[in-house]
Amino acid sequence: MNLPNYFLADLPPEATLSPMMVSEACQALKRNREKYVAQRTTEQQIRLLSNLADEWQDDSSPFRQMALEQGPAQTGFSRATIARGLDGFFRQLTRENLQALLVQDLGEVRRLDELVPVPGQSANHAALALAPEFMAHIAAGNLPNPTLMSMVLGVLTRSAQFVKCASGTSFLPRLFAHSLYESDPKLGACLEVAEWRGGSVELEDALFTESDCVTATGSDEALAAIRSRVPQQVRFLGYGHRVSFAYVAGDALPSRIRAKQVAARAAEDVTAWNQLGCLSPHVIYVQNTGIVTVEGFAEMLAEELEKREATEPRGELPHETAAAIATRRGFYEVRAAHAPGETRHWCSQNSTAWTVIYESDPLFQMSCLNRFVYVKVVPDVKAMLESADAVRGKVSTVGLAAEGDKAPEIALQLARWGVLRICPLGQMQNPPLTWRHDGRPALGDLMTFADWEK
Amino acid sequence: MAENQPVNKHRMTSELSPFAARLRAAIKSGFPAEDFGPRALSLFALQFEANPVYQRLCRARGLTPDRVTDWMQIPAVPTSAFKELELSCIPPSGRTAVFHSSGTTEQKPSRHFHCPESLAVYETSLWQWFAQCMGIRGPMIFLTPPSAAVPRSSLIHMFDCVRSKLTLPESSFVGSLTADGSWAIDFPAVIRQLQLACDSQQPVTLLGTAFSFVHLLDHLAENYLRFNLPAGSRVMETGGYKNRSRTMPKAELHTLISDRLGVPAQHIICEYGMSELSSQAYDVMKSDESPATGEPSLHPSSLIPHPFHFPPWARVQIVSPETGGEVADGQTGMIRIFDLANVFSVAAIQTEDLGVRCGDGFELIGRAEHAEPRGCSLMTLESGPV
Repeated sequence: MNLPNYFLADLPPEATLSPMMVSEACQALKRNREKYVAQRTTEQQIRLLSNLADEWQDDSSPFRQMALEQGPAQTGFSRATIARGLDGFFRQLTRENLQALLVQDLGEVRRLDELVPVPGQSANHAALALAPEFMAHIAAGNLPNPTLMSMVLGVLTRSAQFVKCASGTSFLPRLFAHSLYESDPKLGACLEVAEWRGGSVELEDALFTESDCVTATGSDEALAAIRSRVPQQVRFLGYGHRVSFAYVAGDALPSRIRAKQVAARAAEDVTAWNQLGCLSPHVIYVQNTGIVTVEGFAEMLAEELEKREATEPRGELPHETAAAIATRRGFYEVRAAHAPGETRHWCSQNSTAWTVIYESDPLFQMSCLNRFVYVKVVPDVKAMLESADAVRGKVSTVGLAAEGDKAPEIALQLARWGVLRICPLGQMQNPPLTWRHDGRPALGDLMTFADWEK
Repeated sequence: MAENQPVNKHRMTSELSPFAARLRAAIKSGFPAEDFGPRALSLFALQFEANPVYQRLCRARGLTPDRVTDWMQIPAVPTSAFKELELSCIPPSGRTAVFHSSGTTEQKPSRHFHCPESLAVYETSLWQWFAQCMGIRGPMIFLTPPSAAVPRSSLIHMFDCVRSKLTLPESSFVGSLTADGSWAIDFPAVIRQLQLACDSQQPVTLLGTAFSFVHLLDHLAENYLRFNLPAGSRVMETGGYKNRSRTMPKAELHTLISDRLGVPAQHIICEYGMSELSSQAYDVMKSDESPATGEPSLHPSSLIPHPFHFPPWARVQIVSPETGGEVADGQTGMIRIFDLANVFSVAAIQTEDLGVRCGDGFELIGRAEHAEPRGCSLMTLESGPV
């Protein structure tokens, strides 16, 4: 299947974009939205999205096939990694979940369509949610999921959208856009996907001028730079640098068999999208009260990562990235030789495919990623949070493995400290559609409400 | 254990010292290539005994002298180990000097300890190869502070050795150390020397770090100064920018040097060295010179990037970060050096730098600026035999 040259990102790499082209594209998107899509109902969009999600999970879908066949060369992820990541995303995109999102963020499924009552308020109070007419998304590179989600929200709200991808990262978002276009050309006419180097000020300023909402994902510095250039009256939603980690309570390790299951769940989180997402764990903290020792658990995790390398390989890395892993391994090898009780390391043989570093020192360490994970010892949650103080305020997700009756108390401790999402270990990279990104309602934050007090 | 230590010390001085002396003699008389393997294996056995930190690492890898039969198998120590631990065959009481690494991304610098004997090897190695690669082209202008101001810089120590070997009164250090620890250049002094060189038509050699050259070139540009240094003048630049100046690709820096100082590209030589080593590599192509006049013969190969070469007593392997094995010619990997001149520490050093294998040399791609694991608890330092 050949993709038609429909989006700016389809143009050959030599084609240069000008601010004028960007402005014209934005204006066309807005006109098309007005003409074709603005009057649609939420129900129509829900149906469209859930059908598209079904298609993407179907092996016979040409888009899915293209994603799996060309994806490895385009993204560096192995075919199996891409399949798992995309399936996890599209599996969430159901009618039920989309309705749940509307109810959670807007209070009512029809909020976008009509002035409907506001829950918990008198019958004389109704509200209508007004979505942005035109949204610009400045997407970060690593994983496609956040970008796809932005596009999904824009389709749901019938907004015109311009997705700007980081250089070399537009392949999967572009494929999704083409699938939208194919299933609904009029909707496709309200969507643009482009790729250019971050900080191309003239192009971005042209884009921001046309927008009434800008979403951006990236480093804190990049966000600050973008925010300073977005006009005052334009809504800006920035998603900055976040880290995640996991906690395994001692009571989750009552036997070798159970510990292996927990290790398998941890391996799911480490391997998803090669650990490159903000939801991926840098560190697995393990409470030292289990029947299985923390060191024993680390060894099990190494075994699980080795198993997964066979079925879902990590894939090749650029030289610099592989060198960073090799260098860090060398550092810990020296440590382990000198303090074998305090540091241990397990590495994939003849490759940088996966690495587990066990440390009795609980101090939080940023991983060099690409399936390089720390396993650290803590006596309890309180001690763990003290050790993670350096990243407090920057944490997205904590994956939790704990016995049922202990989990509520742990979750409360974590939430109070500032963890914005607590989920079962193994599900870290599988947030539900209703996930509040960085603690904020993703759909709700796009809205402006018109209230009618009858 | 205490009763063993006098015996250890005796053994160390009685074996490493003769090795060092023999090595120095061999370096001076033209080190034959076939000597490298046997000497490397001997040195490995000696260092294994005398350097307890190194011994522990070798044992952890299962690579002890009785099991290593080829010099390429000798376990290499990562440069990061020099930050965490004391990697030395010299007992603390015998250490008279230390070189520190100078990168800015580190919490702790690498520390390479020396004693008079190890410095003697260091100086023999550096001078022999410097003289061969750089040649002597008139007075040397060192764009760094003198060694008294920065005693822990191996680069400046090298410059000091070169200067004392030349016994030319006009060679000088034109840098100084400022209060905040940065290196400043005495611009009027440099300019005087450059002017003198042009007036007298006597070639000079300028040596410094990349960032020092950026400072100098910026100053010349701001003051609308340009020099056309006499033919035969040379530039040696080394190291990185280390956040002390803006960065630029090598080609751009060299173009600026040619523009402002009149030194052509083929006479701008890069040096690759570090505090953890005793030998240095240069990217000069010796075949550039016509033997009769010592003047450059402008053949096309002088315009392509030259690989770096260490002296015959230091060998390089470019290793795959994936497998740890040597890559094929033309492939990229991490630079590993076996430097026999590191007699009293560790000969086999694994750097974090990337290079392309070019025969027995390498093209330098980049010096690593990897983030080190932060805030690590200090390990118990090994103090070695007393």
